[in-house]
Amino acid sequence: MANKLNVDGILLFEQPFARVPYENYRKVFRTTQRNVERDLKAVQATANELVKQSSSGDVSSESAIQSIDAMIITVENLKRKLSELHDTAGKPTQDVIRERLQHLATIENIPTANDPEFGRWADTRLDRWLVDWALRNGKEKTARMIAKEKHIETLVDIDLFSDIKRIEGALARHSCTEALAWCSENKSALRKMKSTLEFDLRLQEYIELIRAYKFQEAIEYSKKHLVSWQETHLEQIHLAVALLAFPPSTACVRYKRLYDISRWTALVQSFRQAIYSLNTLPAEPLLHLSLYAGLASLKLPACYSHSMKNVDCPVCDGEAGSGSQGLGLGKLAEEVPFSHHVNSTIVCSITGKIMDADNMPLAFPDTGYVYSREAMEEMALRNNGMVTCPRSRATCQLSDLRRVYIS
Amino acid sequence: MDGPLKDLAKLERLTGASGKGKSPSVADSLDSLLHSLREARNAIEPGPVPPDLLSELSQTVELRKKEVDERQKDIYNSVFRVGRALDKKFTATLPYLHVFTSPTSMAALERTVALHFLRTGQFDTAEIFLQEANLEVPPELREQFVDLHRILQALRNQDIGPALGWVAKNADFLRKRASPLEFHLHRSQYIRLLLATHPPNPMLALSYAKETMQPFYAEHEDEFKPLTACILYLPLSRLQTSPYAYLASPSLHFDLEPLFAKEYCASLGMSRQVPLRVVGDIGGGGALARIEKGRKVMRERKSEWSQADELPIEIPIPPENRYHSIFACPVSKEQSTELNPPMMMGCGHVVNKESLHKLSKPGRRVKCPYCPAESTYASALRVHF
Repeated sequence: MANKLNVDGILLFEQPFARVPYENYRKVFRTTQRNVERDLKAVQATANELVKQSSSGDVSSESAIQSIDAMIITVENLKRKLSELHDTAGKPTQDVIRERLQHLATIENIPTANDPEFGRWADTRLDRWLVDWALRNGKEKTARMIAKEKHIETLVDIDLFSDIKRIEGALARHSCTEALAWCSENKSALRKMKSTLEFDLRLQEYIELIRAYKFQEAIEYSKKHLVSWQETHLEQIHLAVALLAFPPSTACVRYKRLYDISRWTALVQSFRQAIYSLNTLPAEPLLHLSLYAGLASLKLPACYSHSMKNVDCPVCDGEAGSGSQGLGLGKLAEEVPFSHHVNSTIVCSITGKIMDADNMPLAFPDTGYVYSREAMEEMALRNNGMVTCPRSRATCQLSDLRRVYIS
Repeated sequence: MDGPLKDLAKLERLTGASGKGKSPSVADSLDSLLHSLREARNAIEPGPVPPDLLSELSQTVELRKKEVDERQKDIYNSVFRVGRALDKKFTATLPYLHVFTSPTSMAALERTVALHFLRTGQFDTAEIFLQEANLEVPPELREQFVDLHRILQALRNQDIGPALGWVAKNADFLRKRASPLEFHLHRSQYIRLLLATHPPNPMLALSYAKETMQPFYAEHEDEFKPLTACILYLPLSRLQTSPYAYLASPSLHFDLEPLFAKEYCASLGMSRQVPLRVVGDIGGGGALARIEKGRKVMRERKSEWSQADELPIEIPIPPENRYHSIFACPVSKEQSTELNPPMMMGCGHVVNKESLHKLSKPGRRVKCPYCPAESTYASALRVHF
């Protein structure tokens, strides 16, 4: 069956859909783990201290009670924090992962693309793509509106993109603080990806100190934050240290480049790349990818020939009065390759149906225009056996039409 | 999705409040730690610190901490397994195409999206989007869509009045298309009237038919017989098991909406399907995966595409999305063009003009490669699909 669902082809687009909430959950887990480690270590230390004091014999009942009370408060607080974290972040995130996986699971059970359930699923998918596209193009209100109207808040990642916007906004204002906080939250994942974003951010903060003539601070800063990268970035560290000797007005290209303000734009780019690949998000909107493939599958030379246009064809861009120049999808289609065909497919321009042995192509004897037998028989039925070609206006008897054989 | 879902369920069990399973939940461990701390406090409260109490307490703290750490480790492993299950499920990564980035392409896409919102009746979203994109659409265009959705809404509420109003204004257009819309609207109303009375009283429906449906008799003669004959099978429960069961089906009424939308859009020169959905479904339904695979194969063979502006492989397209005829000459395998058009020989078989030329023998006679017939080169007819 041609219309059987191609599940692998569909899932190609869905990795980020599952991956984004998963990464969110990992973040929640790390926060939990940090709290557990810190608080229980503190309790453990207090308990050990009490033992030490009592073995040296200088612990009063009051101070012991005080210490135990402090431990009780720490543990109570930890318990409260953990349960809050689970209720407000952990559980909801798990629910989102579950909902999304189940959403994807539905297509595994839909037999064909003609099933109305697939229609609904594909409607939602287009809405999700539109939200993704709107968020990446700074149309946040539109994105929120679609999510709300279509009740797909849990199926789209508005929060992730708000984070991206917030951090990129800070970078645009020449502040690395937010981006560095994000780096430390995702330290291990970034290390695994071999991302150098953190070093780039640190280097930039260092450069800004020098630009402001805060040399002492810059040296301190480099000791604290740059030296630890020496294994991979030794050369850049050397360059950074030498920068101390060059003023921002320097003509020396190597150092002039470090002072260049456009480095901030590059930082925005590399931050975006890092956060996208961490969440397996593609660098361009999902809508672009699907439109590219869809348009390329449909595009034919006929779409650009005035007499062959079909208003139903998305590539022909059948907008009223648009002429041969597409304004919407037809314009986009200019960027994609033509489709490739080895076999003939003859489509009736009256009924839109594909002609085959059961619905033979018939040609007008003089002008050669071809239509399906169905269309011609229906026309003859209404006109006393006469048929008229809608394109050439030729008229003849139904029986005068010539059978066409497409091998 | 069974794999990831199973691992997720395990994670949910581990992090859930109830401490079922081998080790106690974190909350349980913290509770017993609190309990021990309070007991110790109570033991000290009345007088001096009992000997060994503090070292016992320290051991308890140690024990509970270990419990919590173990549990956290289990959770960590469980999270890791969910990730691995996802990796296994999603093995392919999306390609980087870098398309539609030019300002004109971006504008074209914004325009497409704006029209999509209007066409699908999302007027509030469209409003906000047009503001955010700083875009304008002609007010008439918007009105046309508002009108369409008002009529569709009425149809949903079983009111065919607005639809008939539009039909009256576009009678010429519909007649030229031989559209069944008006007849179907009346037929739906007639059946509704017929089924609305208890006990069955067909008079109201019949007078409706007499009043409104007579002009359709000539063109839909065959359909009138069942419409009157079905009266004999009332009420509804009987009609459903009669030869005219199709008249009792709700789709008789539900199908009016898509039919109306199709005619309405056609009158405005717009496609019958929502274009963004069509393209998105094809692209997202396997085409991208196929294109990428084709490209990979080409790269591995180190051969560039023979034609860079054409896909290297054929993408299967559902029949309802074939909008143009494609003629590939069975002899040369080339697609026909204006310069190399399809030609029909005397026997009805079609080949491209160049192939026809190559097949012709002295005396300008051509022997069809697909049947025994012979005809002259000059008698071949250029066909238009």
